[in-house]
Amino acid sequence: MKYWFALLLAFCALTATAKDYLITASRPNNLHVIDLAARKVVHNFVIPGPGIASAISVVDGGKVAYVLTNHNESVSGIDLDSGAQVFRADMSYGNVRVKSMLALALSLDGKFLYVYQIPTRLNRNDYEVLPTRIAIYSTSAGIAAQPLRVFPAPRRISLLAPTAKGNLVGLGWDLYLFNTATGAIEKTFPLRHWQRKGLGEPDILDFWPQFERAHMLSTPYYVPRTDVAATAPDAEEIGILNFDLDQESMTTTEVGDADVGLFSSVVNPANKNEVFAMMNQLCKIDLAAGKIVQRANLDRTYYAINISSDGKELYLGGATNIVSVYDSASLKKVAEIAIPGGGDQGASSLRVIRR
Amino acid sequence: MKRLIPLNEKARSLATAAQPDGQASLMSNVAGCTTTFDPGWEVDAAGGLSGLCHPMEADLYGCTDPCWWPAQVGDSMNTNPDWTDGKNSALRDWRQLQSLFPED
Repeated sequence: MKYWFALLLAFCALTATAKDYLITASRPNNLHVIDLAARKVVHNFVIPGPGIASAISVVDGGKVAYVLTNHNESVSGIDLDSGAQVFRADMSYGNVRVKSMLALALSLDGKFLYVYQIPTRLNRNDYEVLPTRIAIYSTSAGIAAQPLRVFPAPRRISLLAPTAKGNLVGLGWDLYLFNTATGAIEKTFPLRHWQRKGLGEPDILDFWPQFERAHMLSTPYYVPRTDVAATAPDAEEIGILNFDLDQESMTTTEVGDADVGLFSSVVNPANKNEVFAMMNQLCKIDLAAGKIVQRANLDRTYYAINISSDGKELYLGGATNIVSVYDSASLKKVAEIAIPGGGDQGASSLRVIRR
Repeated sequence: MKRLIPLNEKARSLATAAQPDGQASLMSNVAGCTTTFDPGWEVDAAGGLSGLCHPMEADLYGCTDPCWWPAQVGDSMNTNPDWTDGKNSALRDWRQLQSLFPED
């Protein structure tokens, strides 16, 4: 009883005083904390060792951000108040090089870190491809952390996300739902292997995790139509894949001809039929209507998009050193925040947390 | 090639290794980045430029760090980890990036 009361008090305290913060990274190996209401970078931390900082995982109220670094071979946990490194997992060992292609995620309670690993044994005369896997670390493991356990996972996974039921989703050629206790794939949601009439194989390029505000893993995809000539103007379509992390269900919705490039997308937590996606254009998508309903040309290319807790503001970042703030109703730019030092964010994550 | 006959074990293993199946040839990051090959960078899907990243430099390190176009830009993940050292803004520092050669 006391435990639940303490949890309730903690929750009330968090919601009463919590603000939205944006966490991003920049070259060569820096982590930044931005107070979104103040439009101000409040912390600039240097991650120990070689860069480049890229994928970031952090949970609401979390004290530590877990960042992929060291040319994708290490995960560093950085205290968001002091900047101290409090967790470090160097994944390579001996002559086995272990990299992650930007896929890592925390459990919702912040106790476990899941990292998708791609090991290769570097022999003197050849490279030996080893099976890909997901490693589970305790976030309290400190420096020189070793995984609690590993389980096999299909190749080509570039995004991981935790579900409310304690499972883990991996986005690869198909979307896999892993049981984190057993490592078993509970369900495979077919993408590359779907059999949809009139449509070919979808193509997805996405390693930007931004599911935390709406609990929806969202990504654009491109798919060729097989019922028209390949040279027809509508031969290729854009779609939005949404995976509901609370319900563990997936929807795919084609929203128009492929007339615009889109890197990443985010669902509005205040209206889950509304999705925002961008690259050179910012697009508002109405999933119920199945179309792009509003567009705005951007001043530059952005890789990653995220959204405020109330759904009123959009944050565009990645690529260069700028995070831009857009109004989600008008799609007009309202602010620009420069990352100190001018280092490019590149492919780094753009996470929005409350703390 | 038909006139070349493998004479030792290593040569025989090379002869068989040169026939990867379709899946292996498309796996990313197995032996350096050269197994990822996306033609692109210079033109978009419609053969033009408007669909590319702009300015072009905005996309440079996003391709370098995850080793997306290893034929066109440096691979800072595996083979040339120091290619961009000290050049943290592609927009500002691109003139300092040097050409790469196999011996580098």
